[in-house]
Amino acid sequence: MKEISTKRIVSRKGRDMSLFWQEYKMNVKSMVIWALCVGGICVGCLLLYGSLEDSVSEMADVFANMGAFSEALGMDKVNIGTLEGYYAVEISILFSLGGAVYSAMLGAGLVAKEEEGKTYEFLNALPLSRGKILAEKFGAFVGLSFTFHGICVCLVLLGFAWMGSMPHMESFAKYHGAAFFMCLEIGTVCFLLSVICRKRPISAAVGIAMFLYMMDICSKVVPALDKLKYFTPFSYSNAADIFSGGNTDVWLREIGVGAAVFGIALCASFVVYQKKDLM
Amino acid sequence: MNAIEMKNLTKTYGKNRGIHDITMSVEEGDIFGYLGPNGAGKSTSIRCLLGMITASCGQAYMLGTKVGRGQMAEILKRVGYMPSEAYFYPSMKAGEVIRYGAALRGMDCREEEERICRILEVDRNKKIRELSLGNRKKVSIVCALQHKPDLVILDEPTSGLDPLMQEAFFDLLMERNREGMTCFLSSHVLPEVKKYCRHVGILREGELVKVDTVENLTRTKLQALRKIKIYGTTRIPELEGVSQVVRWEDGIGFSYQGEMKILLRALQGLEVKDLLISEPSLEEVFIHFYG
Repeated sequence: MKEISTKRIVSRKGRDMSLFWQEYKMNVKSMVIWALCVGGICVGCLLLYGSLEDSVSEMADVFANMGAFSEALGMDKVNIGTLEGYYAVEISILFSLGGAVYSAMLGAGLVAKEEEGKTYEFLNALPLSRGKILAEKFGAFVGLSFTFHGICVCLVLLGFAWMGSMPHMESFAKYHGAAFFMCLEIGTVCFLLSVICRKRPISAAVGIAMFLYMMDICSKVVPALDKLKYFTPFSYSNAADIFSGGNTDVWLREIGVGAAVFGIALCASFVVYQKKDLM
Repeated sequence: MNAIEMKNLTKTYGKNRGIHDITMSVEEGDIFGYLGPNGAGKSTSIRCLLGMITASCGQAYMLGTKVGRGQMAEILKRVGYMPSEAYFYPSMKAGEVIRYGAALRGMDCREEEERICRILEVDRNKKIRELSLGNRKKVSIVCALQHKPDLVILDEPTSGLDPLMQEAFFDLLMERNREGMTCFLSSHVLPEVKKYCRHVGILREGELVKVDTVENLTRTKLQALRKIKIYGTTRIPELEGVSQVVRWEDGIGFSYQGEMKILLRALQGLEVKDLLISEPSLEEVFIHFYG
């Protein structure tokens, strides 16, 4: 027996992120499709601005006087009569919602798919600790989300360049950074859900993303629900607030709550997965 | 040293039965058959051993190391596992799955992969979703054996394999066993257990009812149990210990558990043309334990 152990086949490169790359590879096709769809819609809307330019000034006046509705969409803060304002008010919502739904679905599928597809027996019979399995799966989630945002940002910048008017780059970067973190936060909560469930909770994940968006709208429209803004990541990733240079203290507090939710969901994922019975 | 050791291993799923108080061991180099019908607790025991589920109480040891979440990665380096249902990622090719398994072990198993795939005629270019259960089983065998483990755990390994492949698979196992590999084989296919295993554990409703050598189980323990066939009469001798009676045109067959001299005495006076007394098969032993 000992002799066989010493004759063990020589290790190649150590267990070198194979799980991360396999997860990435398995999800890259759907990620590219989502990125092209979300990014493409944003670019399409940017290009539409050219044909709307004449009437958009009148629209800006009308929208700016629609009270709570204007506040909810941030039209009281930025001027949609400019391409940047149009992006911050109209297009960013599509981007944020698309990104959030994609991240939620991605996070919700990564772990639960193993039990749903009964592949956990293959994976968990390999010499990998559960911590390593989860870390590499989460790494793939972050990597895929980052690539998704990268593709979308490149497409949007190409759209701006095509229109001949670049946005204020600091605000643009700040918004997309916040949107990326918002997607990570929602995706991580759904990742925790994926660890808990035995089947992919895709519907619940999409529901969570939509519910958080509705929370953001409610916090802006109903003054009594103002505090909800601390519990929805759509609040700190609101492009109109960011492009208009809104209250930094509030923004940082919202980000802080988001970071706490992200951290708690991630830690809980590891704790639950360590103790979970796989069957 | 024992390759596998279970001490009072218990797993309950709420009100549902799992396994209860299993204590047994498997010596290094042994081929151990773990017998029981569906739902007896075979897979639950195996999942406890592999750390996929946590035992409610009791301990398990594999290759001398106590089974626990912190130790599994180290233990599993020396263990191969073939699940009863061979599920893999449907979009991957068979060859990709095999190499993925090796990569996650951090090993280069190409030589052994090549050899086993040739023996089992594995088509590595087909996608998993295109493979039948039998062909997925073959992929599973390669994944379980390509890294030359010291211990292999096989959960109903031959279901779905055709007879020729079953033969090739057991030849492979025997070859590895001669080199020192321990086999823990869960099955309800009794002929294969009798043919290949040295020791057998019989599981009934989550409890281990017997562990012994195949030889002892079919001879010593049930030495009082004999299969009797009498030709020339259809009358059943009047004595205790007769069960499983079968009648045909000019004879009867039954199982008899008791002293032989009492049976022979009871047969006197009957018109016996021929008498066959045989040892029980493993199937009959199994049926005996399951009433």
